[in-house]
Amino acid sequence: MPPLLELTDIKTYYGNIQALKGISLSVAPGEVVCLIGSNGAGKTTTLRTIQGLIRPREGTMTYDGKDLVTMEADEIVKAGVSQSPEGRLVFPRMTVRENLEMGAYSRSDKVGIQADMEKILDLFPRLRERLTQKAGTLSGGEQQMLAMGRAMMSRPRLLLLDEPSMGLAPMLVEQIFRTILDINQQGTTVLLVEQNARMALAISDRGYVLQTGRIVLEDTGSNLLNSELVRKAYLGEH
Amino acid sequence: MTHPVKVGVGIGIVAAVVVLLFGGWSAILAGIVAGAAAALVTEGQSIRDRSATLRNGVISGAIVGVFILIAEIVNDILVLPLAGKDPVFPPFTLGPISIPYNMFVAGLAGLVLALAIGALTGWINSLPDKNRRLGLAILLLTFLALYPALDAAAGLGWIEQMISIMIFVVLALGLNIVVGYAGLLDLGYAAFFAIGAYATGLLLSPHLCNQSGFNCEFYQQEWSFWLVIWIAAAIVACFGLLLGAPTLPLTGDYLAIVTLGFGEIVPVVFRNLTTVTLTLPFTGICIAGCIKPLNVTAGEQGINPIARPWVPVVGSFQTGEYIPWYVLILAIIALSIFFINRLRYSRLGRAWSAMREDELAASSMGINLVNTKLMAFAMGATIAGLAGVFYASYITAIFPSVFDFTVSVIILAMVILGGVGNMTGVIVGGLIILLSDRVLLPQLATLLKDTLNTTVVPHVESPAVKDFLTVSVDPTQWRIFLFGLTLVVVMLVRPQGLIPNVRRAAEMHPDEDTWDLPLSIQQADAATQVRSVDRETTID
Ligand SMILES: Nc1ncnc2c1ncn2[C@@H]1O[C@H](COP(=O)(O)OP(=O)(O)O)[C@@H](O)[C@H]1O
Ligand SMILES: [Mg+2]
Repeated sequence: MPPLLELTDIKTYYGNIQALKGISLSVAPGEVVCLIGSNGAGKTTTLRTIQGLIRPREGTMTYDGKDLVTMEADEIVKAGVSQSPEGRLVFPRMTVRENLEMGAYSRSDKVGIQADMEKILDLFPRLRERLTQKAGTLSGGEQQMLAMGRAMMSRPRLLLLDEPSMGLAPMLVEQIFRTILDINQQGTTVLLVEQNARMALAISDRGYVLQTGRIVLEDTGSNLLNSELVRKAYLGEH
Repeated sequence: MTHPVKVGVGIGIVAAVVVLLFGGWSAILAGIVAGAAAALVTEGQSIRDRSATLRNGVISGAIVGVFILIAEIVNDILVLPLAGKDPVFPPFTLGPISIPYNMFVAGLAGLVLALAIGALTGWINSLPDKNRRLGLAILLLTFLALYPALDAAAGLGWIEQMISIMIFVVLALGLNIVVGYAGLLDLGYAAFFAIGAYATGLLLSPHLCNQSGFNCEFYQQEWSFWLVIWIAAAIVACFGLLLGAPTLPLTGDYLAIVTLGFGEIVPVVFRNLTTVTLTLPFTGICIAGCIKPLNVTAGEQGINPIARPWVPVVGSFQTGEYIPWYVLILAIIALSIFFINRLRYSRLGRAWSAMREDELAASSMGINLVNTKLMAFAMGATIAGLAGVFYASYITAIFPSVFDFTVSVIILAMVILGGVGNMTGVIVGGLIILLSDRVLLPQLATLLKDTLNTTVVPHVESPAVKDFLTVSVDPTQWRIFLFGLTLVVVMLVRPQGLIPNVRRAAEMHPDEDTWDLPLSIQQADAATQVRSVDRETTID
């Protein structure tokens, strides 16, 4: 099957600082792929580059056969890529419902949006209880659910998740990963960025290990879990 | 301030100040406005209890009325005599009827009106939502239609000031798009007002045309104003895009400084476009001002005369005949409100609020930040352009010095004091600031001067003190000080503005009740927290 997303030798800079030093990766339709790496490795930058929020200086990116490099962020969302950003950037002064509606900004099919809203509220029942609450007053876990739900509202084919488990209690982390699998089983391809390597690799079909802007390892989730590099550097085993 | 008595006292004090200063039939106007205001303010808090709105309206209206009556009496027996003015009213004549009356008539009229309008507004508030809006709209329109007559009958002559004030209201509505909806702090908004006015000046006065040797009849046509208003608005919108574009990568403080720069540059440009020769680049082919450089803006002298609007029946609008101008500026305000309301709930409006909250998140939602920002500047500029067109035509002359930094500051203060992002707040806040500045303060100054001259100065021995009292005690010279003081006090006491943007959520989803008090939200939150903890522990 041709990959849904393919990056070839992507190099991205912030001014003169090179954050990505040639990333190549691919995601096939229906997969859960994870990108692990320590702080500052370039995981967020990779997702931002895919979403068109920063332009790569070199390299090629295709999504569903289309050239991503020349597409604007809004076109990329329309094409079916959406993201739950790092640090769960919900709109704090909007209600939960308004946040979800913003997620559907790129769509205009009212009926479909309403149906998807119901689906997402079934996925995250806690959000349903808080529809009229301001997002800024939600707990960390609820904000994460909202950020994911909001990303799902654009009905993406490819969902980018940037550290969905960051700062959450272990119990909630488990629930979040369970939901990611649910979302994937309902047909959405997922590219997951995590520092919580154990959990992320456990639910992923394949994974990439990123170190200072370069991919240093690529394998199936279970192989990576057993690889020496990952055990030492990311799972804290010696 | 949930209690209608408190509201009645608060608004009553404000109304009493006005009546104390103006006396006479100002009590009628004060009664109507303050009665309605009191009922509306008490309503906001008691919206759940519909039966209470009528009672609240009556109570607060009555209290306001009592204040007005007392103020009227004090004005008549204390303020006017102290200022050395005749305390007896001139007779009030309506056609052939001449009514003899005294202060009680005016004061009681104010009281009765405050009570009646308070009750009426309270009753309208008790209606179901749809009828309520209709009722309030009818009430407002009736008042606006009657205002010129009331103003004339009461002998107040505020209408001239009201028109200039309403130009600022239009400007504040426009700036509210940029600052309130899109969250872009613009410190040079007067630039767009200036561009609108100058576009009108150039199109509607013979000034430029006379130098060109072309046919100069356009500006003399009866319909030209009605065409120019749209052309000028479009020109200003383009300048909104043009001046917005360089600010795109900037946010917050940096954006504010750049807009401040534009606000300074634009009047300077207009001041200096006096010897212009246009040549095509590289070729040296001259396009305009070849024989003699064009004097485009006439510098400090300004452009005049600028043509005035014309409508059938009324004819050309005249200086000093205020009613047509009043109707026109009201129409511009109504048009702006309609247009801004449509914008606000459109896709663009939603994009603005998302961008204001978080740019990065907004762009991950598929919002094009470049377009969204530029549209905010363009839409804000268009509204300023409308104000500029009206201003140029109303004054019939424009000068670069009119559009300086203080104009931008006053407009921004109106937006912030009224309540950023809330149109009602911006309008009410703006009216309060400018009415105090342009109507109340001069009257206070006159009264104070008269009082000092007639009651105090004759009994003062020392020439130095005498001098001080007659020359230096002048409230109109404290304008900027009082303005600054108001800003400080309001921001300390009510940082969210007079009428903050709290109902936004309720407006977007009128079918849901979002009036939960913070406490009940917390309680509900705590309750669900407990429940969800239960649920979590049951996960295997
Ligand atoms: N906005 C930015 N401006 C400049 N440098 C940045 C910016 N964001 C990230 N970086 C740098 O790029 C590198 C990769 O960062 P990031 O992609 O956020 O890493 P990760 O998400 O893996 O923690 C880091 O060295 C970081 O300092
Ligand atoms: Mg990161």
